[in-house]
Amino acid sequence: MQSIDKILSKVQKPTRYTGGEVNSVVKENAESLIRFAFCFPDTYEIGMSHLGMKILYSMLNSRDDVWCERVFTPWVDMQEQMREHGIALFGLESRQPITNFDFLGFTLQYEMSYTNILNMLDLANIPALASERGDDAPIICVGGPCAYNCEPLADFIDFAMMGEGEEVLNEVVDVYKAWKEGGKKGGKIKYLEDIAEIEGVYVPMFYSVSYNADGTVESIRTNNSHAKEKVRKRIINNLDDTFILKNIVVPFGEIVHDRVMLELFRGCIRGCRFCQAGYIYRPVRQHSRECLSDAVDSLLNCSGYDEISLSSLSTSDYTELEQLTNILLEKTEKEKISLSLPSLRIDNFSLELMQKVQKVRKSGITFAPEAGTQRLRDVINKNVTEENLMKSVSMVFGGGWTNVKLYFMIGLPTETHDDVAGIADLANKVLDQYYKTPAEQRAKNINITVSTSSFVPKPFTPFQWAPQDNMESLMEKQALLRSLITNRKITYNWHASKTSYLEGVFARGDRRLGKVLMAAYKNGCRFDGWDEHFKFDAWEKAFEQSGIDPNFYNMRERSYDEILPWDHIDIGVTKKFLMSENEKAIHEQTTPNCREKCSGCGASCFGGGVCFE
Amino acid sequence: MSSYCLKYEKGDEVRYISHLDFLRCINRAIKRSALPVSYSQGFNPHTIMTVALPASVGTTSGAELMKVSFDEELTADIVRDKLNANLPKGLHIIKAVKDDDNTIKFSKINMCDFIVKAETETEIDIDVDAFLSLNEIVINKRTKSGEKQEDIKAAIYALEVVERDGLTYTFKMRLAAGSVYNLKSATVIAAMEKYIEGFKVSFMQEHRLALMCDGKELM
Repeated sequence: MQSIDKILSKVQKPTRYTGGEVNSVVKENAESLIRFAFCFPDTYEIGMSHLGMKILYSMLNSRDDVWCERVFTPWVDMQEQMREHGIALFGLESRQPITNFDFLGFTLQYEMSYTNILNMLDLANIPALASERGDDAPIICVGGPCAYNCEPLADFIDFAMMGEGEEVLNEVVDVYKAWKEGGKKGGKIKYLEDIAEIEGVYVPMFYSVSYNADGTVESIRTNNSHAKEKVRKRIINNLDDTFILKNIVVPFGEIVHDRVMLELFRGCIRGCRFCQAGYIYRPVRQHSRECLSDAVDSLLNCSGYDEISLSSLSTSDYTELEQLTNILLEKTEKEKISLSLPSLRIDNFSLELMQKVQKVRKSGITFAPEAGTQRLRDVINKNVTEENLMKSVSMVFGGGWTNVKLYFMIGLPTETHDDVAGIADLANKVLDQYYKTPAEQRAKNINITVSTSSFVPKPFTPFQWAPQDNMESLMEKQALLRSLITNRKITYNWHASKTSYLEGVFARGDRRLGKVLMAAYKNGCRFDGWDEHFKFDAWEKAFEQSGIDPNFYNMRERSYDEILPWDHIDIGVTKKFLMSENEKAIHEQTTPNCREKCSGCGASCFGGGVCFE
Repeated sequence: MSSYCLKYEKGDEVRYISHLDFLRCINRAIKRSALPVSYSQGFNPHTIMTVALPASVGTTSGAELMKVSFDEELTADIVRDKLNANLPKGLHIIKAVKDDDNTIKFSKINMCDFIVKAETETEIDIDVDAFLSLNEIVINKRTKSGEKQEDIKAAIYALEVVERDGLTYTFKMRLAAGSVYNLKSATVIAAMEKYIEGFKVSFMQEHRLALMCDGKELM
């Protein structure tokens, strides 16, 4: 155990680094166990709020032969102290350096966390390049949504796991155990060859990528007979039959989502064309209400939390929502526990439900029309009409809510200034609904917040071929909105476009970006998702140093016959389907949701979920 | 309603939790223990509890005090054992006493005992008695209206070296505490740095031994 006492008194929020929280797992006989560092490349407060980490931490620790520990990116003050005192990055449970662990597993939730991965490897004294790590160095693996195109990290990682981790993670650990017990015969390559045959495992070094003169990919070929031509993601067909989360670590300090999270289902039936999650998690599969009712009891009892939040991409699409919320309300009323219901579509049922669970505070409610005109909403397949929205907000105002947030994206494909102006128009119409609400029903005051973020085209979506809107154009659109939103009851917030620009480069990047990442890290980039640490000029310099033009990755329209850097990854949804969705988008045609009508996306190949309901 | 006064330890493991962290932590422990804790009335009901002079971040303690109320009659043993079964490592109830009539009054606390470990930058012999026999021990105190000079001599009831190991001094202190006047051990160390030439502390840790009224522990 490293003594960190002397540095803890010098840093902010020291409980980020102490471990010892209720339900954190400490095991005996550490030497005989497979040591797994579950690394979240952001702060404790963000990482500890991530449901996937809670599931896999608990699942790995349910094995007698594995000890999984949590590792987050130390905040800059702690990094400074650690470097000054020669303290290596450690697991929170054992406080031992992770330098000699068996596995480091990074979860890739957003592109802007990539420099933190290099930073964490550096703090752990582990060489960043996979080629420089010997057989005794930890195996570095990744998972999570950005792993589907982890090409920019190809130089650094040993392997990636595509899709849901409950099964595949156990399988790669089993193979590791046998390999380690056999004296690591054949070296790391042998281990990687063995797991390359497991469905869902991608070993970047077993694939050679060649490029055309114009910089596009010429071919992606396997260079090792154990590697699959196409790596298909893994999913759990029956969610009730897999590992169910029943125990969670309870932090001392406040974290972002400081409550019990109850996962209703995975995937989304809606098919919004900008949304990567809507495609990569297909098909929709849900937990039964009985399973959730059991799970929530253990989660509340083990944690002592007094709040439950339902978690999914669209709460209203849970088919047993009414029955489930009745079960939950019975518990919450008895035990002074509050229930929060994110991602609800507003209708009579949900409004009544919200009034039941939020008896006192009527704070904010958020709507996400995503685009300002019906034309553009059809392009992105966001099947919400102005009439829907007006009906919903008038219900909300009638219920006495005072804060309404409207969330939009700018820079969507085919967007014109009329579409942008439509955002302001829609906000004004929402305000009109407030004034139309009888004064005795509505709240005394009203605040409407309009937020825009800048659209980033993502791989595995119908817009994966589309150019990203450039920064000048985005800023123009923000300025236009600022000039159109004049009413003082409407506040306009927008996100910096530079972060989105960079996100766009890495989202659809290839493995040539590895050197940019390394150069950016060396230029001092870290915590790029945090405005106060984001150094755009250091990134620009990194692209220059590496001789790479970032615009090649995000400003260019790709043709359908171009080989995309992620074409060897198979998410079930076919490229053909994504193309037809893109064509429909251009022609402003919508696609029905999975429960209305199957559109033949390809996800039925997994043999489960909504495709077979 | 039944009320209990609890004496508890705050160990090394939870040295860095803040008072707010502690309140969250004890509330969750109560929730896990399913003890019938009393809630305040109002829009945002909260559990009814009081902590006496909460230890600051970084301080360990063997004698913290708090009060908590329950809707039902319980026994002190049940309260202690159920909470102990649900507290994280480092927090431990040593003793629970039924205190329905509020006979243990936190407002009477006027002094605390501390053990302070201080690591000096260089090896140095110090004379604590000489320090204590100074006519005045004046420190600069930062207040809202700027710096102020203050004589803390009268607030140091006792100060002795209990152990010395190379660079590390272990002091025992009895200092004024509570609502009338509160003296921190770090302030005493700072004063020693000011008056004892060559005495420079690079790292210190504080452990609270007792919360007292006129030299007698409250419970």
